Amino acid sequence: MTARRLPGLLTSGALLALALVFFFPMIWMVMSSFKTNSAIFSTPFALPESIDLSHWVEAWTVGNLGQYAINSAIVTVVSVTLILLLGAAAAYALSRYRFPGRGFVLSLFALGLILPLQSYFIAQSNMFTQLGVTDTRLALIIPYGAMGLSLAVYLLKVYLDALPEELFEAARIDGASDRQLFSALAMPLLRPGLATVAIFSALAAWNEFLLALLYIQDDALKTIPTGLLAFSTRYVTDYSLLFSALSIVTIPMIVIYVVFNRQIVEGITAGSVK
Amino acid sequence: MKPARSITPWLFLAPALLMFGFAVLLPMVFTVGYSFTDWNGFGAMTFVGLDNYVTAATDPIFRDSFVHVCLYIGATLVLEVLVGLGLAGIVSAVAGRMWFRVAIFTPVMLPMVVVAVLWSFVYNPDFGLVNATLAAVGLEELQRIWLGDPATALAAISVVSGWVYAGFYMMIFYAAFRQIPHEVQEAARLDGAGEWSLFRRIKVPMIRSAVWVGVLLCVTGGFQGFDLFFVLTNGGPYGATEIPTTYLVKTVFRNGEVGYGSAMAVVLTAIVLGVGLLYSRLSRQRASRPSEDRAVDVVAAGPAVVDRLVVPEQAR
Repeated sequence: MTARRLPGLLTSGALLALALVFFFPMIWMVMSSFKTNSAIFSTPFALPESIDLSHWVEAWTVGNLGQYAINSAIVTVVSVTLILLLGAAAAYALSRYRFPGRGFVLSLFALGLILPLQSYFIAQSNMFTQLGVTDTRLALIIPYGAMGLSLAVYLLKVYLDALPEELFEAARIDGASDRQLFSALAMPLLRPGLATVAIFSALAAWNEFLLALLYIQDDALKTIPTGLLAFSTRYVTDYSLLFSALSIVTIPMIVIYVVFNRQIVEGITAGSVK
Repeated sequence: MKPARSITPWLFLAPALLMFGFAVLLPMVFTVGYSFTDWNGFGAMTFVGLDNYVTAATDPIFRDSFVHVCLYIGATLVLEVLVGLGLAGIVSAVAGRMWFRVAIFTPVMLPMVVVAVLWSFVYNPDFGLVNATLAAVGLEELQRIWLGDPATALAAISVVSGWVYAGFYMMIFYAAFRQIPHEVQEAARLDGAGEWSLFRRIKVPMIRSAVWVGVLLCVTGGFQGFDLFFVLTNGGPYGATEIPTTYLVKTVFRNGEVGYGSAMAVVLTAIVLGVGLLYSRLSRQRASRPSEDRAVDVVAAGPAVVDRLVVPEQAR
């Protein structure tokens, strides 16, 4: 690096202090999860007397957290798989072929990039009730998949547009069918784009709250956001239990984030349209 | 490339179009339809023309909810976009220290509900961090029931929003700063520019389009905010944090006024699309320089389509 004006050590110290203040709510959350309720009230800043994991065990067993995590995982994996497969196929058609109606279809998906959830969720909820889909996992998989498609189609099309036309013409001359052009040629080349879409859509599905709140009443099917909210209304004043539940939900995500932070930051910023 | 058969592209498109059409486009059309009716969700549906829109225009709760959300958006433009820009300036001036960026971005990862429950504790009047900190530095008289006081509740929620998204905008702007050619900054330094004037006069103007995208995301996202408000106050205390999204969810799913709620949803949608349109117009008037990174292109695509729908290409 070229000459820096700010003395390095001082800068690091200042940044560390800033990061610590910023991070303090999460540090406090974990500290409090090891304390008794009375210690949470009397000495909010004190370090816990010991690393007591009993509240964690209790939160996990009485709080149904394992079931919520499984539900979130199922909904996330299925909807992301749908987004990647359907989105890539649609992006392939829109990028590689010229056909009547192409511009219109592209506009529909691009419109989805800016359309707020509020523009359709009232009728969607009504449709799902009529069809008996509410209180099944499909009630979340279908909208999460559909909402993710706009971004997938648009972003993957950008990646596909960058591939040289000659690549596809040559494979065509060698006798490849359209299906083979897509699955054997385009899909492998799309891998970086698919990863970005997967990260963004997975986080969106994992964290989504409003639709999960409206469509899932059955506690056995709740995902982490609605499950945690149900938990927090059930144990309103048992703060050590609630801090433990928050820690259990938060810490694995932070670990995953620290390990894959480059891909995740790229995925969220490139994918963020809302 | 020409498809082998004319049906081929449609075979590739069909599954995505079906899913998107069924779960997004069709219910969107229905929602607009509902907005012209008086309907409780299951009984008879009566056509009432524009009555719901007239009601919305004169409903003081709905009007106040827009005042609240605009105040919230104004606060988040500062706490998220401006703070994010400042943080991006800092990290781009100090080089390296990736751990700092990683730390500040962390809350973006977490479910908003988890953030909201955590911050409901931070604001807790009895043991919360905010009041405990004030007590520790001898400012007891500033202690408040932050989320229970109509004077502070909206600001308290805006701070949480800033805590989450400042890191997000920092990353967007940081990525844009890194696209600025090194020679430009070196030349300015040789001319004696300090880090601050370099930031203000050279770097920020050079990433102007990324900043505008940040503003667009913050404004359109602000109108759609729901999770934090629902968990922290659900419109209270005394309606001080009622925003259009929480009000319309109550109207439809608690009071069963589907027609009226749909009209509010249409108004909200129109505003978001209108902001997108405005953005598209303004960004077209500015120099048509290619944007700095892919995030900017993707974000601009939505508004551009709204723009084309309003004024067809041929008419220009």
